[in-house]
Amino acid sequence: MVTRSSDEVPRTTMLQRFPVPRNLGVGPESRIKRGRTWPAPLGAVRVKTFDIYRYDPDAGDNPRLDSFEVDLDACGPMVLDVLIWIKNNVDPTLTFRRSCREGICGSCAMNIDGTNWLACTRFVSDTRSRASIYPLNNMRIIKDLVPDLTHVFAQYALIEPWLKSKTPAPVRERLQSPEERRRIDGNWECILCFCCTSGCPSHWWNADRFLGPAVLLQAWRWLVDSRDEATGERLDALEDPFRLYRCHTILNCTRTCPKGLNPGKSIAGIKKMLLERRT
Amino acid sequence: MRPLSPHLQIYRPQLTSVLSFGHRLTGVVLGIYAVVLVAWLLAATTGPRAYSRMHDFMQSSVGKMVLVVGSFCYFLHLCGGIRHLFWDSGRGFELRTIYISGWAVVAASTALTAAAWIVGAHVAR
Amino acid sequence: MRSPLARARGWGSAREGVAPWWFERVTAVALVPLTLWLAASLIALAGADYATVVGWLKRPLASLLMVLQLTALFSHLALGLRVVIEDYVHSGAKIPALLAVYFGCFSLAVTGILATLHIAFAG
Repeated sequence: MVTRSSDEVPRTTMLQRFPVPRNLGVGPESRIKRGRTWPAPLGAVRVKTFDIYRYDPDAGDNPRLDSFEVDLDACGPMVLDVLIWIKNNVDPTLTFRRSCREGICGSCAMNIDGTNWLACTRFVSDTRSRASIYPLNNMRIIKDLVPDLTHVFAQYALIEPWLKSKTPAPVRERLQSPEERRRIDGNWECILCFCCTSGCPSHWWNADRFLGPAVLLQAWRWLVDSRDEATGERLDALEDPFRLYRCHTILNCTRTCPKGLNPGKSIAGIKKMLLERRT
Repeated sequence: MRPLSPHLQIYRPQLTSVLSFGHRLTGVVLGIYAVVLVAWLLAATTGPRAYSRMHDFMQSSVGKMVLVVGSFCYFLHLCGGIRHLFWDSGRGFELRTIYISGWAVVAASTALTAAAWIVGAHVAR
Repeated sequence: MRSPLARARGWGSAREGVAPWWFERVTAVALVPLTLWLAASLIALAGADYATVVGWLKRPLASLLMVLQLTALFSHLALGLRVVIEDYVHSGAKIPALLAVYFGCFSLAVTGILATLHIAFAG
């Protein structure tokens, strides 16, 4: 009932999804059709069914939901291990991003059982009895579980995430007190997996203009970095009814961050900064 | 054209998103009640006949239902609004606090609505 | 065929947005005591007849608080509905919807204030 950290998986659910039609408001090319079922291999004892979103750009069909019966004794404990087992043993066309397998690269971010997390740090034992795997929400899908992240990365480039200073660089380091260095803690650790941004309802409705929690968290990271000298210009660029102020403190972002970061808090900091500079 | 992955259709409702939507919904509904408030003031200005028509509707069971719903919307939006004001001041963002304050808003709104109607029924007698 | 960065940048930052955000919070803070007063008054007036209600509203403090309440309420409502429309309406209906909200809230506020003042002064 009271979630203390984002890695907690709720044991009971009052409502698994909002009571809306499964294909509510989607364009014709996005309607999800029923897919095929891939049965478990013979002799498998611990079997679990995974419903996985599939889309094949070469076939020209709509996306579909395939059901895979997985032999849990044959694969590792994480959802990513299940995906790799399926790709190796059942359907080699299953496509997904992955790299580090330890929750630091952000490649395998996807929607598991209705919330966004990294597949490599989500235990299979923490998923529902019939687990569902979808790609990150509200993204154009290249294939299967691979979203097109071009736009969100363009929004990241928009905030100019690098140190801006006119003061010539010192011979050695730009000095920073431990206090000043602590101000970027909780922000530099972001792995840009975009779980938060794709889970933000405001970003669902205004993805083209709202920057989203991941980008705004990084914007805050550069605003509070004491070595940066362009704070005013950064705030000018953010002060926009859509870029920043589409955030209504819904806080899905903080709830879903697989690294335990707090984008909601950082965005509140930006809003406070914008108020204080004109009061 | 590439398909768009589902969002509202499959995302799990959580205390965060549900309470936020509730805050917005109650705000819009209270806007309608604001119109009712102005209508009530107009009826009071116009005269006893206009006022008694409105008064009779408020006393009917439909009217009472309307008022009960309105009062719950008001208390939910009030408590949720205070929670929002804390966030705007930068406080209460730890996940544990978000959840405790969220459930507190639901509990307080229900309790305040019940209390208001119990007191009101007592006064009306 | 714009580049992804051009599409993300759009037409640049509007360089405003603090003012409506701030005023929504200012009216919200004002509305906490004001609406509590209104709620308490309405509960105390439960089942009251016409004469009692007019007598209550005629008093200077009640009519003052009602006028303040209406001002803050419709300002807050207008700001809130503006945000809701901006969130969901992206077609050509957006500007007419915003105008309807502004004109509606302003007219309702003026109507309510005039009605209150009429009771306070003319009875």
